[in-house]
Amino acid sequence: MQLPSSLLENAVAEFTRLPGIGKKTALRLVLHLLKQDVGDVQHFGETIAKLRRDIKFCQRCHNISDGDICSTCANSMRNQRMICVVENIRDVIAIESTQQYNGTYHVLGGIISPLDGVGPEQLAIGSLVQRIEKEETEELLFALSPNIQGDTTIYYIQKKTAHLSCRITTIARGIAFGGELEYADEMTLARSIANRLPVQQYVK
Amino acid sequence: MLQLRSISLVQFRNYVEQDFSFSGRVTAICGANGAGKTNFLDAIYYLSFTKSYFSRPDSQSVHHGLQGMRIEGNYLLNGEEQKLTCILRETNRKEFALNGEDYKKFSEHIGKFPCVMIAPDDVELVTGSSEERRRFIDTILSQSQPGYLSWLIDYNKILQQRNSLLKAAAEHHLDESLLDTFDEQLSEKGQLLFAARKEFLDTFIPLVNESYKNIAEKDDDIFIRYDSQLTQDQMRELLLTNRQRDLYLQRTGCGIHKDELELLMAGLLFKNLASQGQRKSLLFALKLAEFETLRQKKGLAPILLLDDVFEKLDAQRMHNLLSKVCVKEKAQVFITDTHAERLRQQLDKIGVEYQLIEL
Repeated sequence: MQLPSSLLENAVAEFTRLPGIGKKTALRLVLHLLKQDVGDVQHFGETIAKLRRDIKFCQRCHNISDGDICSTCANSMRNQRMICVVENIRDVIAIESTQQYNGTYHVLGGIISPLDGVGPEQLAIGSLVQRIEKEETEELLFALSPNIQGDTTIYYIQKKTAHLSCRITTIARGIAFGGELEYADEMTLARSIANRLPVQQYVK
Repeated sequence: MLQLRSISLVQFRNYVEQDFSFSGRVTAICGANGAGKTNFLDAIYYLSFTKSYFSRPDSQSVHHGLQGMRIEGNYLLNGEEQKLTCILRETNRKEFALNGEDYKKFSEHIGKFPCVMIAPDDVELVTGSSEERRRFIDTILSQSQPGYLSWLIDYNKILQQRNSLLKAAAEHHLDESLLDTFDEQLSEKGQLLFAARKEFLDTFIPLVNESYKNIAEKDDDIFIRYDSQLTQDQMRELLLTNRQRDLYLQRTGCGIHKDELELLMAGLLFKNLASQGQRKSLLFALKLAEFETLRQKKGLAPILLLDDVFEKLDAQRMHNLLSKVCVKEKAQVFITDTHAERLRQQLDKIGVEYQLIEL
């Protein structure tokens, strides 16, 4: 693509570095910005720069935060002795929108996969173990993706916390709510049958 | 009962546009070298497995210089007519449909129209490395035992992760508990796979021996044995014992990925001792045992595709093989050969009705 200005070219190149943005989309976005008032674009740029500069990660759970401790961790109404372990911040947002969970979080920042160069030391596992020791956590709830790497991460952390008297649970895996049985894939269905629930518990 | 009644090939390999219909159970195909006998069988295989028997990209199955291809087959499955269509678009997009309805996942189709192919190159199964035989066993088990394929995929994924941890450990320090974690995960799947292979081979090996005897009329002192490190020890212990060696070699040296289906003749390695004809006989015995297993599991006889089977077999073995597959098995059979006369003689001798197609 031939662009008439090197300034334009630089801006397009910057946009294409974002996930899911190709060259054409980048050009469209840049041309849109060009049509805006100078002040508006200035504000846009500053907001982004400020976001990166000023945002903090909670020292306790590594969630996004405005201060040293995030609002979830600071909230005394929440069960501070329960920790939900998630892979990234997007998962926190997903679980928060259920409005069903009333404990704290711990964001690992990834899952164990030596193949991708991610070992336990790259993740916030050490701080999690320390946290459980210090805070006398009662329950550790794993909300990780149901795949091999997720399992590896769960088993690994379980091993690391074996000496602690903390209850360890994981989110249920099975048929999606509101889904039709016939459209469920075989592995999910097989798993749901293997881990079936007593009806009393189910209704509750 | 499964029967292919007609097939039409459009721009498939050396066929530009051609239709064939089959009247009976036995169809003999003859033609000179390069006439398209193997391609013909491969088209039938394609309809059963949504891909070529010879592992090559789909685009190579298109007639030279043209774009896109189509294979259509009309079957009779347990008395009902079924139509399979495989289309490779000009864009190399593959569509596969049963009775006009496209499959979303091709894997759903595999096993519905079972077929077994025996081609000359398959001799690798007997003479090649243990990997060939593991793949052979895995293919049958994946088709016949639910869950097997997903265990195998998981096992291989964990194995890869473990190996890459072993590699990383050589450069940095080793996280022992992570290795423990992988060992546990690998052992769980490994034990499941071992149990499945063992149970399967306990019935499969006698089938192979019996088929061999049927073809050769003697057992040639052949002995087949499932050899796995897991026979003596649990996988977990094996991994622990070999840990130092694994760390040194930076890969996992024990497990079901080292299993072997040992083929012996008079106590020695079969591949070193056996003649060409004996190799071929054992290959047929393995394939016929596969055929028999699939038949028992599926409840219907797979279609048998025999490519160039007469080469290297003596007259008696050839006769035994043909009467076994054409007369006793009651399956639909497609046989190719270069000599029309030889085919005709052999089939007349066993007294079976057949249709001869000359390419």
